[in-house]
Amino acid sequence: MAIVATFAYEEDFIAAAKDLKSSGFDDISLLSPLPLEEAQEVLGLEKSPVRHFSLAGAIIGAAFGFAMCVATALVFILPTGGRAIIALPSYLVITYEMTILLGVLFTLFGFHIVSGLPAWHDKPYLESANIDRFVVVVDSTDGERTARAEAIIRGAGAEEITHMEVE
Amino acid sequence: MSTIVEKLKAYSKPGYYDEFDYHWTMTIDLDRCTGCEACVVACQAENNLPIVGEKRYARNREIEWIRIERYWEGDYPDVKMGFIPILCQHCDDAPCETVCPVFATYHNRDGLNTQVYNRCIGTRSCAIYCPYEVRYFNWFTYTWDEPLEQQLNPDVTVREKGVMEKCTFCIQRIRIAKDNAKDDDKRRVRDGEIVPACVQSCPTEAMVFGDSNDPEAEVSKKMKNERGYKVLEELNTTPSIVYLKKAHA
Amino acid sequence: MFDHGQPSYADVNKDVLSTMLETGPRYWMLLGTTISIAVICFFMPWLYQLFVGIGAAGMNRNAVWGTYISNFIFWIGLSHSGTLLSAVLHITNSHWRKSIYRSAEAMTLFSLMTAALFIMVHVGRVWFVHWTFPIPNPMGLWPNFRSPLMFDVMAITTYLTASSIFIYMGSVPDFAAVRDASTGLRRRLYTIFSFGWRGTAREWHTLGWAYTFFAVFVIPLAVSVHSIVSWDFALSIVPGLHHTIFAPYFVCGAIYSGTAGIVTVMYCLRKFLGFEKYIGQVHLDNLGKLLITLSLIWSYINILELFSTWFGGTSFEIEALKFRLTGFYAPLYWEMITFCAFVPLLMLWKKFRLSWNKMLVISILINIGMLTERCIMVATSLPRKFLPDAFGFYLPSWVEISITVGSFAIFATLFLIFIKWVPAVSIYEVKETLKPLRRDS
Repeated sequence: MAIVATFAYEEDFIAAAKDLKSSGFDDISLLSPLPLEEAQEVLGLEKSPVRHFSLAGAIIGAAFGFAMCVATALVFILPTGGRAIIALPSYLVITYEMTILLGVLFTLFGFHIVSGLPAWHDKPYLESANIDRFVVVVDSTDGERTARAEAIIRGAGAEEITHMEVE
Repeated sequence: MSTIVEKLKAYSKPGYYDEFDYHWTMTIDLDRCTGCEACVVACQAENNLPIVGEKRYARNREIEWIRIERYWEGDYPDVKMGFIPILCQHCDDAPCETVCPVFATYHNRDGLNTQVYNRCIGTRSCAIYCPYEVRYFNWFTYTWDEPLEQQLNPDVTVREKGVMEKCTFCIQRIRIAKDNAKDDDKRRVRDGEIVPACVQSCPTEAMVFGDSNDPEAEVSKKMKNERGYKVLEELNTTPSIVYLKKAHA
Repeated sequence: MFDHGQPSYADVNKDVLSTMLETGPRYWMLLGTTISIAVICFFMPWLYQLFVGIGAAGMNRNAVWGTYISNFIFWIGLSHSGTLLSAVLHITNSHWRKSIYRSAEAMTLFSLMTAALFIMVHVGRVWFVHWTFPIPNPMGLWPNFRSPLMFDVMAITTYLTASSIFIYMGSVPDFAAVRDASTGLRRRLYTIFSFGWRGTAREWHTLGWAYTFFAVFVIPLAVSVHSIVSWDFALSIVPGLHHTIFAPYFVCGAIYSGTAGIVTVMYCLRKFLGFEKYIGQVHLDNLGKLLITLSLIWSYINILELFSTWFGGTSFEIEALKFRLTGFYAPLYWEMITFCAFVPLLMLWKKFRLSWNKMLVISILINIGMLTERCIMVATSLPRKFLPDAFGFYLPSWVEISITVGSFAIFATLFLIFIKWVPAVSIYEVKETLKPLRRDS
């Protein structure tokens, strides 16, 4: 069972999040209608692993692009215009494009892996979280933790607290 | 390992070929050319060139693989006209070959700039890149009225709309001659065995065709003539046609 | 940023989503008109051309490229606006971009699609155009990657893919907003489109990083795409086109034309969707300054081209220059110079730069000038290369003119469909420009 708490003001929201985190509630989600750097700091999110996917994509793209050019040129040797068969200036352009193409595709893939989207199961959510309210979701199970969490949240100045079933 | 290195060196060499198998070259003696356009007609007959029609010709949609260009000098009454047959120069560093996205035109072992009709998708960029304007596009699918379709050459494809075409040095005649030479004890093609339609029809024998790799060929000797020059040589296209300048009286 | 006082967060959602969820008869009439024009002016002449052959267009032995290529380049040019606005200005943290970048990105995507359509129209045997892609086949035939046209194919494919991903990813939180505000089939569709977005800090963090990486990838891509398109011309030896300045010239011209396109589109958004609150004077002012800068760079590059041709003194180049400046197409050339170099200087005065109507006129004139520029390149240089007896002449036929008109209708259709499927103003980014929801503000 999850606690879903709505806040009208940013500072209350961040204060509640900080208190929850320091009291040992690790499994909290902080929903907001726009990205908040402070919320991300509270959760300890600094450098995203998406950047590894981007780098991998770019390197693989470059290698694949160049290999594709060279390999396809060597299947049938068809000299054109007195140029070399492996013409580096032309192939560099193709490699550049493939670097970007695979970089973008891998970043997209990385985004899905890291963020966990698409979400296959319903998770606790309030529609006002995408309009103008800040929502803290605490996934807790037993009664004692629930009471403690609710106390912290109420102390921070929550507008509304509800409970939702988690699948 | 060494073969890989050698191969890589070969692939990085401009033009790839160390030397051509046969290097088909033509010389055209402008002193002898009378501008009669027999070569134009012969080419049309030999290569199944479409009959474009007067209206479309006037809109610059002609297809003539060889054309006679005319240049006027001076004012009346001292006007002089010079003409020069322009056909595909089969440049060794052809700009048209570099730009085809599907390899429909490439340089073969015989030094010919070949056009592969069934690979062409009709981007027409080769015609843009050609400085001599010798590439022609099939703007429509041309048909021949009866009974003209009976005079079509069975050795040459008939092109449909959307395909580029140009002079091939009568590659069908080259093929046949090479096949015959191979059957005949695998010898090389002799000088004079291959005569493209334009060369064959020229009444003044202004055009000479042959293998410039063969030092004894007539064309090799004619190429060394001091009147020899190549059209638009400064563009570094290395054409395979040597024109012999007209000697002024 | 906001001319009429700041809206509240809920207002932003309401204003933007109402343009999507409420559709009046005026929209359907407009959509019907653009679709009819697109079918009648673009697809039917194209079908005619497919049956008859490219001869239906006005091209001939000398001018084998015509308005199809100049339109292609024009539309690719128009597409650079969105990338500049959303990617470059994202990296530089400019706030005024936040309400207009979504529509600008949409412009990019649809211009690219229209440009790709023009390639299909231009090519002689469209049914084989898939041969330009490296698809494994039993013949073992691959495309010629040394060809400038292949650079084009790869660049435009990459740009289309990257732009679609860029705009889609940036819209995911807004798809969630649509999902929340709708019911029935629409709600189910947008649940899928938004991937179940909740807006958690982790999701925002990942999206922010991914979006920044997309922007970092897309910026060099945009610069390279139009450079590559310019090399279709510059890598030929045609006098008048064989200049090294072409890559920067085209990129500058593309951003210039695209930014002018954004002004036009913003005017329409304000007028027809009622976005006056979100698109205001600050946007106009900044776009105007951008246009002035680009106009000055464009003029400079044109002067460079003239000067280097004149200084070089090659007979072919001088002949090409003389024809361009004083030949049959000279009126077009001077019209281009007036519209793209002189008219935009009016924007130096605030009176012009801050008036929506005047800016609309100036931006349309700039785009007419840029389209003329592409046409001039094709019509003046291509038919007159090296051998004077082989010089020719080019005039477009009715098929080409009709297809040009139809392409604008196709772009309008795509854009009209876009404003009903994707929020035309980015809800969450506009919220970032509003006062934060804190007790003390």
